Amino acid sequence: MPLYKIENLTYYYPEAEKAALNNISLEIEDGEFILVAGGSGSGKSSLARALAGLIPDFYGGRIGGKIYFQGWDIRAMDRRKLARQVGMVFQDPEKQIVQTHVEAEIAFGLENLGLDNEEMLRRVAEVICFMDLEQIRGDFTANLSGGQKQKLALASVLAMQPHVLVLDEPTSQLDPVSAEDILNLVKRLNEEMGFTVVMIEQRLERCYHLADRVLLMDKGRIACDGSARAVARKTIKGCAPFLPPVARFFAGLQAPAVPLTVKEGRKLLRSCLNIKETGAARPAPGAGDACPADYTGRRCAVRLKNLWFTYPGGQEVLKGVSLDVGEGEFVAVLGENGAGKSTMLRQLTGLLRPDRGTVEVFGQDVGKNGFKEIRKHIAYLSQNPNDYLFQDTVEDELLFTLKNFGLKDTSAVDEMLERFNLAQYRRTNPRDLSSGERQRVALASVLVTSPGLIILDEPTRGVDFRLKAELGRFLQQEAAKGRTVIVVTHDVEFAAEYAARAVMMFSGRVVSDGKKHDVLGKSVFYSPQLCKMCRGICDGVLTFSEARDRIYPLITGGAVVAEGPGVTM
Amino acid sequence: MFGKLYYQDKGLFLQSFHPAAVLVYFLVLLVLSLLYDNPLYLLSLLFLLALLINGVDGMEAWEGFLKVGVLMTLVVMVVNPLVIRAGATIIWHGPAVPFLGRLDISMEAIYFGAVSGLRLLVIMSIFCLYNLMVNPDNVLNLFSRAAGKSALMVALATRMFPAMVRDLKRIKEVMQLRGVDFEEGSLWERVKKYSVLYNVMLLSSLEGSMEIAESMQARAYGSGRRSVYSRKLLRPRDYLSMGGSLLALSAAAWGLHNGCGRYAFYPVADALVGGSSTLAALFVVLFYLSVPLILSEGCKYCRFIKSKI
Repeated sequence: MPLYKIENLTYYYPEAEKAALNNISLEIEDGEFILVAGGSGSGKSSLARALAGLIPDFYGGRIGGKIYFQGWDIRAMDRRKLARQVGMVFQDPEKQIVQTHVEAEIAFGLENLGLDNEEMLRRVAEVICFMDLEQIRGDFTANLSGGQKQKLALASVLAMQPHVLVLDEPTSQLDPVSAEDILNLVKRLNEEMGFTVVMIEQRLERCYHLADRVLLMDKGRIACDGSARAVARKTIKGCAPFLPPVARFFAGLQAPAVPLTVKEGRKLLRSCLNIKETGAARPAPGAGDACPADYTGRRCAVRLKNLWFTYPGGQEVLKGVSLDVGEGEFVAVLGENGAGKSTMLRQLTGLLRPDRGTVEVFGQDVGKNGFKEIRKHIAYLSQNPNDYLFQDTVEDELLFTLKNFGLKDTSAVDEMLERFNLAQYRRTNPRDLSSGERQRVALASVLVTSPGLIILDEPTRGVDFRLKAELGRFLQQEAAKGRTVIVVTHDVEFAAEYAARAVMMFSGRVVSDGKKHDVLGKSVFYSPQLCKMCRGICDGVLTFSEARDRIYPLITGGAVVAEGPGVTM
Repeated sequence: MFGKLYYQDKGLFLQSFHPAAVLVYFLVLLVLSLLYDNPLYLLSLLFLLALLINGVDGMEAWEGFLKVGVLMTLVVMVVNPLVIRAGATIIWHGPAVPFLGRLDISMEAIYFGAVSGLRLLVIMSIFCLYNLMVNPDNVLNLFSRAAGKSALMVALATRMFPAMVRDLKRIKEVMQLRGVDFEEGSLWERVKKYSVLYNVMLLSSLEGSMEIAESMQARAYGSGRRSVYSRKLLRPRDYLSMGGSLLALSAAAWGLHNGCGRYAFYPVADALVGGSSTLAALFVVLFYLSVPLILSEGCKYCRFIKSKI
């Protein structure tokens, strides 16, 4: 008997005209690790909620079809019994924690199950040991880092000892190291402890190879279902956005097998390349030049000179940061959490004043004059687009910025709405839009003044492949027009594909700065998957187009270059 | 800055008491600070509180409380003589003022104002010590059995407060960069600007509350009767502290019944020490109230005490 059996499941959210889940039939076996992939609005989260019994119990709406769990109709099951069997971890760790202290939070679910104190003590102790939370067991939950919060959310669910773990993009808000930590834990839970795992994820390079089975969703339906390799083989033929970069690269080759990991990719690449000496391939354009990046001849848009900053609490965050960014440059700033990236952004927007050193934006000293002097020339998009949305309509949101700066010409509003495909939502409340659309409204609302400097803080968090590509292309176009773009991101793949220059920060200092090929190409951990695959075979490859240009001509036997490679970003 | 005013687990002995024992102790302290009128008794309580606050490494936080307390004491000392006419020792004959009558400032009225301020300082110090010594989560946990939903609501609010402060700061920065000047304009204009800020936060909080509720439901909240996770142990130190508190209360009650701790300000102030019984009663009450402090110091210097409590 399958663990889950879903028959013709159709679901509409309250007041929705379009089905979130459309006639889904599915069986899930005990102990499987299932990865659910798909674009925004494809129904992934709705499926996860249905598996956890939250649809329609929590959301209401209309539902058709049946979901059976261990042979029982899930809607007829006692909620407490279901919660003992199915645990769900959500996207945003900030929105899952209820209690003030770590230990109390782990016990929260157990209290809800009505367990006796001895049993709770035992389970809490076990989970704390397993998840290595001993150091923080007495900490105030609001003071934990993002990674610790997500680990705590997972611990709180695991303490309930469920049979099934449903994870809705559990790593989307985390930096790469914390994300890796969570994924390794999930892998252990599946392999060593027999948990059935259903995981939704956007960054497939992190987890595609972990899954036994992949469900590809589109418009509320399951478009493709099978083992990870089978789905890779099926989807590789067309445009393949829902594959890890290594597999996507081989989409253009009729390779005998589809590699899913860097290791497999390297093996396959070596077997079919006609290279006698490693690294003999033609260098990528822009690769190999000496650091720093070449911005000579351009006017300097941003100049940070020997910047030092310490927060009132005594934490020294910036230590002698110097950075020049020319007009029309597209710079990605990378580094671990706490490296000082966001503090640096706040310095160059004038929201913080440096203790020592100077910040100049378009020749104006920001530290002296503060943000009021330069804000007209800056578009700043914070990590959360919702911070921008409060007006009744999308149009009002853009007009609000214009009005604040005393700009009378409102023609820029129409232009921006067209540019961001928002014209149809002109009279819509921005809070009624999807997350991708909200981000576009927020971006339009800060770009409406035609600023020369665009600053984005983690713009790809929780954003699907298509929206990410749209954003990347847009920023490239803006840079081509002469605007300066600075993006703080953990998304190495995004930085490698779209930025021209990369800056690495560590512990309040700039440790590497130059053309992206020099910075990301030489980094072991902060390099895209394709770069890792090609390292030592064909050095300096970062993007798909580079990989195609340099590697396809070298292919001999074993794999044939397809006429129309399906990879486009 | 505000972090110093809230509980921080420093692993100190005084922070290791069971919440029930601590609550009993604070309740007794609060009752005595309200019942005692004698300035000597109130001063003694303040002295004890200073030692305890020092024991929880909270002098910096107490400084903030003291500044406010002293300021309020001065206000009471100024206002009280203006409205009270009961004192016999007039030190200044002022003019007649409408509604208040003749402004005769008496020594006793100033004295009473100062002692009222002292009482205020004691009460504020009790709350300061409470913030530094008691993990609010443990207290909530204690009340979970009786009022589970209320306790959870308080925990949620406590947990969300720092996040809301962070959100508010971030949204304000976003608005400033979108051209909003919060410091400029008339009062009404500034109120309107701030209302925008709170509007964004309210909308985001409402959306966030749905996500929190969903996460709670996924963890079986509301699926039936809840149990309470109790992780605090009752140790000998807790019994000793509770015993000390109850004995202090009994001794204080006996003392008050016999006039020890009482004090008359008008028309002429009593002597500070009425007799030996006044000092004896004070000593006994202070001794019992010092049990946590004695245990804390004993733990530092005596292995025997440490092993037994």
